[in-house]
Amino acid sequence: MPTQTHTYHIVEQSPWPITGAMSALLMTSGLAVWFHYNSTTLIVTGLLSLLLTMYQWWRDIMREGTFQGHHTLFVQKGLRYGMILFIVSEVFFFIGFFWAFYHSSLSPTPEIGGQWPPTGVFPLDPFEVPLLNTTVLLASGVTVTWAHHSIMEGKRKSALFSLLLTITLGLYFTALQAMEYYEAPFTISDNVYGTTFFVATGFHGLHVIIGSSFLIVCLLRQILHHFTMDHHFGFEAAAWYWHFVDVVWLFLFTSIYWWGT
Amino acid sequence: MMASRLLSAWGTLRALRAARLPYTPAWLGQLGWAGPVRAMSDGGIPSNKEQATGLERKVLEAIEKGVDTYNMFPPKRYPRTKEEPCLVPSVNKKRIVGCVCEEDNSSIIWFWLHAGDAQRCPSCGAFYKLEHQEMPH
Repeated sequence: MPTQTHTYHIVEQSPWPITGAMSALLMTSGLAVWFHYNSTTLIVTGLLSLLLTMYQWWRDIMREGTFQGHHTLFVQKGLRYGMILFIVSEVFFFIGFFWAFYHSSLSPTPEIGGQWPPTGVFPLDPFEVPLLNTTVLLASGVTVTWAHHSIMEGKRKSALFSLLLTITLGLYFTALQAMEYYEAPFTISDNVYGTTFFVATGFHGLHVIIGSSFLIVCLLRQILHHFTMDHHFGFEAAAWYWHFVDVVWLFLFTSIYWWGT
Repeated sequence: MMASRLLSAWGTLRALRAARLPYTPAWLGQLGWAGPVRAMSDGGIPSNKEQATGLERKVLEAIEKGVDTYNMFPPKRYPRTKEEPCLVPSVNKKRIVGCVCEEDNSSIIWFWLHAGDAQRCPSCGAFYKLEHQEMPH
């Protein structure tokens, strides 16, 4: 390593930005080809190369941070800012769907019967599975905090257990949502109710799956002794993301499931 | 290339041996066969002191010692008089200095400070002196 008089991480050349960009191009053009010619070759190729890019890029980052010691205190600060800005952008992504929902529900058009829920739509009972889902996600917020305190206090066993519990709760939530989708009496094409409902809850579900994967990576890294009591930003970022997903659900529950019924 | 592969294979072997043995006999250590000891404080998660490596470790050690070879701390304050000039650390023989002169000034006076005797800011006359700084590693 050449001598440097600062503590920043000067990154080396990496192929993953360009392979990621190529995957994005393959996925967008692949989507169009799928819609117009009913061929999934391009989109599958795009998805596969995106997965390969993500795996290898993040593997490299773990090597740089954990095994090469490039993530100094100052670099960690940059990672924190990055994660905060990313989550802020995600917040605005969801604000868009809430905007669409309130736009359609606060002044229902004559086409849907001038009422919300629209004529002929029978929404889900918010106090059955959705309320259970709320408690499941809130509980997972508690267990992820338990995991964080375990790591900070150096308690490996309880860190592993609480992290596993958090992941289990996340998967339970996904399973319950899958059941709700399967049993829902309306579909995404059932007027603006179905559209706003499935787009908002669907993107939330996708984010739960991403957050669960992030936490699973943290569990594997904890098993492999990657984290120290003072340096475990990968886990903290996953916990921040998990809390974000949790808060979005609270808004979905109170707005779409409860108020919207 | 071959040598480095052999070395890394040897390292893996050592780590495996150390990991498999619940108690590492002392004679293994004498032969250099015992892997690194994983103290991991009480509950099994290591501290930075036990596990941090590379630049991250060097920075932590520098902060502990209060040494600023990585230019992490805010600049020290000096009277900037002839007797007590502002000491500017540098790994080279010269460094660019920006003098604010008075605290509310919105323009900064930039000049080269060379090794040797103290130099004065061309605008306000404050004294600056280059101080040799060792390379961090």
